[in-house]
Amino acid sequence: MALKGLKYMNIRRIRLVLLAAAVVSVMTACGSRGPEGSKDSVVIAIGSEPETLDPTKGWGHGNSPIVQSTLVKYTADLTFENDLATGYELSEDGLTWTFTIRDDARFTDGEKVTAADVAFTLETARDAMGSVDLTYMEHAVARDDTTVVITLSRPASIFLNTLASVGIVPEHAYGKDYGTNPIGSGPYKLVEWKAQEQIVFTANEDYYGGVPAISHVTVVFMSEDAALAAVQAGEVDVAYSSATLGRTEVDGYHVEAFVSADNRGFTLPVLPDEGRTTETGAPVGNNVTCNREIRQAIAYVIDRQQIADVVLNGFGRPAYSENDGMPWNNPDAVIETDVEYAKKLLADAGWADGDGDGTVEKNGLKAEFSCVYPSGDSVRQAVAMAAAEQVKKIGIQIHVEGTSWDEITRRMFSEAVMMGWGSAIPNETYYLYRSGGALLDDFYNPEGYQSDRTDGYLTAAMEALTVEEANENWRKVQWDGTTGTSMRGECPWVWIVNLDHVTYVRDGLSIGEQPVHGHGHGLPLIQNLHEWVWVE
Amino acid sequence: MRKLNRRTRVVILTIFLAVVLAVFCILGMLIPDEAVTGSFLNAKQPPSLAHPFGTDALGRDLFLRTLKGMTVSMTVGTAASGISGVAAVLVGIAAATGSKQADALINWVIDLVMSVPHTVLVILISFVMGRGLKGLLAGIAATHWCSLARLIRGEVLQLRSRQYIAVSRKLGKSGGWILVHHLLPHLVPQFVVGLVLLFPHAILHEASVSFLGFGLPPEQPAIGIILAESMGYISTGMWWPAVLPGLTLVLVVLLVDRLGENLRMILDPWSAQE
Repeated sequence: MALKGLKYMNIRRIRLVLLAAAVVSVMTACGSRGPEGSKDSVVIAIGSEPETLDPTKGWGHGNSPIVQSTLVKYTADLTFENDLATGYELSEDGLTWTFTIRDDARFTDGEKVTAADVAFTLETARDAMGSVDLTYMEHAVARDDTTVVITLSRPASIFLNTLASVGIVPEHAYGKDYGTNPIGSGPYKLVEWKAQEQIVFTANEDYYGGVPAISHVTVVFMSEDAALAAVQAGEVDVAYSSATLGRTEVDGYHVEAFVSADNRGFTLPVLPDEGRTTETGAPVGNNVTCNREIRQAIAYVIDRQQIADVVLNGFGRPAYSENDGMPWNNPDAVIETDVEYAKKLLADAGWADGDGDGTVEKNGLKAEFSCVYPSGDSVRQAVAMAAAEQVKKIGIQIHVEGTSWDEITRRMFSEAVMMGWGSAIPNETYYLYRSGGALLDDFYNPEGYQSDRTDGYLTAAMEALTVEEANENWRKVQWDGTTGTSMRGECPWVWIVNLDHVTYVRDGLSIGEQPVHGHGHGLPLIQNLHEWVWVE
Repeated sequence: MRKLNRRTRVVILTIFLAVVLAVFCILGMLIPDEAVTGSFLNAKQPPSLAHPFGTDALGRDLFLRTLKGMTVSMTVGTAASGISGVAAVLVGIAAATGSKQADALINWVIDLVMSVPHTVLVILISFVMGRGLKGLLAGIAATHWCSLARLIRGEVLQLRSRQYIAVSRKLGKSGGWILVHHLLPHLVPQFVVGLVLLFPHAILHEASVSFLGFGLPPEQPAIGIILAESMGYISTGMWWPAVLPGLTLVLVVLLVDRLGENLRMILDPWSAQE
């Protein structure tokens, strides 16, 4: 009996503790909203922490850095408008850019932003050889306080895209610790950065573009399921989530799904296995996927809409290229799912199921290969397994295997990879398909695709003097009427889906008109922080 | 049942438990790989008659996957406890019959291994050996022999001081003869019971290390993998991938534990006659 009594007491005590915990969580939920009537703070949960806040080392890659400001910035429809710049001129040979900058911009330490800072930033970024590619820039020189002249070694149509993501750093306050202690002229300034925990920003009162409506911003880093739990507890205002979790309804929040260029698809080695290895000793080539009819049959049999609807819960759209929906996309890259055509492609090339085991073969070689993905990435796993299931019905076996990035780096030249790419910058196309980039371990072109014709269009697009001319050539890369990198052409990639970026937003908060998101675990979300506002 | 004496009842229960576990194992082996592939079109279904444990986010039947996973777990458990059992006997006997220095050295190694938490050591060894089944087996085998080895050593030391051993020695019997005829018969029950009780330990460590992502690869149906995957969906209200396979694991561990206890009752001289 005494034992029983003890048990009851324990249960009662546990209930009390649970109640206390609930009360505390409700109280903190109210706290994060700030006092009624003065809503000027937000708490944002995103998936991964930036490595640095130094734009010359890649902070803001592909989207604008909020601490610094840039010469030009993207509009929501991916054209450019002036930010720090007041205007620019391009010489006729496309090699000399002359920018004039505004003279009322100040860094948060009170110093003026000058043309010398711009020149310093660009030269530093070039020398850092980080993810900002400025190898084609010869030098940047300040002519006076508000004019900077930039000389390129070859014309570069993507130069404005690069400028839109390189925030200007102060020459007088730039040192080794700049990445963790940045000073800029952007809409926000850094207050505190606790590694692996949170970053706190506060509005820059002197920002030349007007003081942002949200003055306190706390960015916390947590995994997607932890973020959802935080949303359910009311602890965050905005949380980056995923397609698999986004159908959970939470009172007081709505889900916004942002169109992204963040895509998933198979890279298929286009070279045969001839015993070659890369410089690092990784095997090169695959005797099954080196056949174009195999790659195309896979491309045609996959029902992309079904995968988007079922696997991604509707938070995604079929993908046909690395830049669907961008101004430089070629609409001819779109293909229709056609199982009969896929079968015909295989049959015409001599692939047949002679032994009745459900897998086609040719000259004794079975149409089967492995596809690797980073284990732990549930979306890639699900997309790869669903695609493999669909491909199976035309007799091609794809063995889906989860493994580490190290292992993928070793296997990606000889096996398929469920890869993800996508940014709102056309040079993505350049890196994905240039011959010089084949078989490098930067994940862009592990399939070993090389083509003089493609290189010609890529160079023409890069060196074009006008955006229209560049876009025309970017489109020809994909399909020029007879061939190209798209799935109806050489098909080194089988694109499957573009993911929508699923975000929980507390009712009453407007997070502005989000530009097309690139690949990046939640960071693209905060690039337009200065447009956010509590509307009720 | 009432007519049977207690010992017979325990024996019957033991045999029953052993059969249940064997059936579990064989069922899992009989399931073909295709049966656990599933289709993404029937993903995330709650438990039903067609899928007693429901399906996971990729549309795989969790009941079949759990059974298959239990087979993997049991293979790991058997192999790992087998290896560590043999190691324990060899080390235990060597410590007890060898020189003072050897004994001190072996005791020091045992202390060393036991001073590091098992899970951490298993993760380290599994990681270094390239993960997968091989790494896990090595990791678990290398960490689980200590307590059994210590037990065997103690037993041997105790036996050696017994009078009949001294008499045997005086009668001129060789060390080998004494080992085979006097020591081993006493050690075998200890060994068997220790082995069986190691088994649930090994299974749980396999599951936890796989859960943490340092063990088996994610395609392998294993309880740890299933549980790890279920964590991503539990906040959306999908409870069945976590609860049902988890309960199955607990059930099997309890069964094996019971089996070990019963074996001990039958074999241990103190309770064998009850």
